[in-house]
Amino acid sequence: MLTRRAALGVGGGLLVNAGFSDLVRAKSAELIEIHMKSDPGGGVVGFDPIGVLLQPGQTVRWVCDDNVHTATTYSPTNDNHSLRIPTNAQPWASDFLLPQQTFEVTLTVEGIYDYFCAPHEEAGMVGRLIVGSAVGPGALPFDYYLTQGHNWKSVPPAAQKSFPAVETILTQKIVRSSLNFSKMPMK
Amino acid sequence: MFRKTLIALGIMMLVAGPTVAAESVEKAPPPAPYKKVSELVKLPDFLPGMGTLYVDPATLPDGPFLAYDHAGKLVSTIYMIPLKDIDGHKTMDDLKAPGGNVDHVSLYYNAGHPGVEVPHYHVVLWHVTKAQEKLVEK
Repeated sequence: MLTRRAALGVGGGLLVNAGFSDLVRAKSAELIEIHMKSDPGGGVVGFDPIGVLLQPGQTVRWVCDDNVHTATTYSPTNDNHSLRIPTNAQPWASDFLLPQQTFEVTLTVEGIYDYFCAPHEEAGMVGRLIVGSAVGPGALPFDYYLTQGHNWKSVPPAAQKSFPAVETILTQKIVRSSLNFSKMPMK
Repeated sequence: MFRKTLIALGIMMLVAGPTVAAESVEKAPPPAPYKKVSELVKLPDFLPGMGTLYVDPATLPDGPFLAYDHAGKLVSTIYMIPLKDIDGHKTMDDLKAPGGNVDHVSLYYNAGHPGVEVPHYHVVLWHVTKAQEKLVEK
């Protein structure tokens, strides 16, 4: 399996807000894999699981199964998207991942992390992570920033509808995608 | 209404397609200004179901994209029409069709990909028979 670590050759992936002690702790924590999926025709796309409850220090690995995808946080540094990760967390944006390529982050700052796939955001390919507790901008309504004078991009309607509810993630811990990635043949 | 518009678009392309293939695009690579899509954006060289794509960047996102099989033979001409343009009743006039005879047409939804990062429809003018679509299946 190819990984961003192998491709970049600089330590791989991105360790978000992780100090040495966090790295040590992360190694002992369960690694969560999120698959980036698509039907053969590229009409049905999504993350699976779409929602995950994590503990601080846990590592998330995105695995591209089909098509081309990214894992990109909702944050102004990513093409002026609205901020939907904790204010003191470091945003990330993977490169385009081809099948069998992976990307990892280790999360230490508590809160909600909303992220999207760059080529499929308009189609509603988004995911939500909750690290520890459900706090931060991700807990606010999608248009919260308008009253703060920010000129950020809004979350597309299809994406807004796709996020699993915070309560569902807190209850189920892992929320699987409801999409059928094999139902649509190419032609 | 949306589906009728797409079907009408496909029929118009089928009827309006030229009957003589331009020699220069029958084999890959087609001449400039066409460029290999995988060299413009991050996509595999060969896309299962479509083939190896070339496009004139000035025509993005609509195309035409020229699709070739593993042997470098032109199999289809593909237009990628954003749903918002269809919903907005945008007119797309004089889309080039350099690939020659059209055997049949396929229209299918795509959620997006590098280069056309919005939901769109692929309108595919096949220059080979239905059975020969297998040339680009894998």
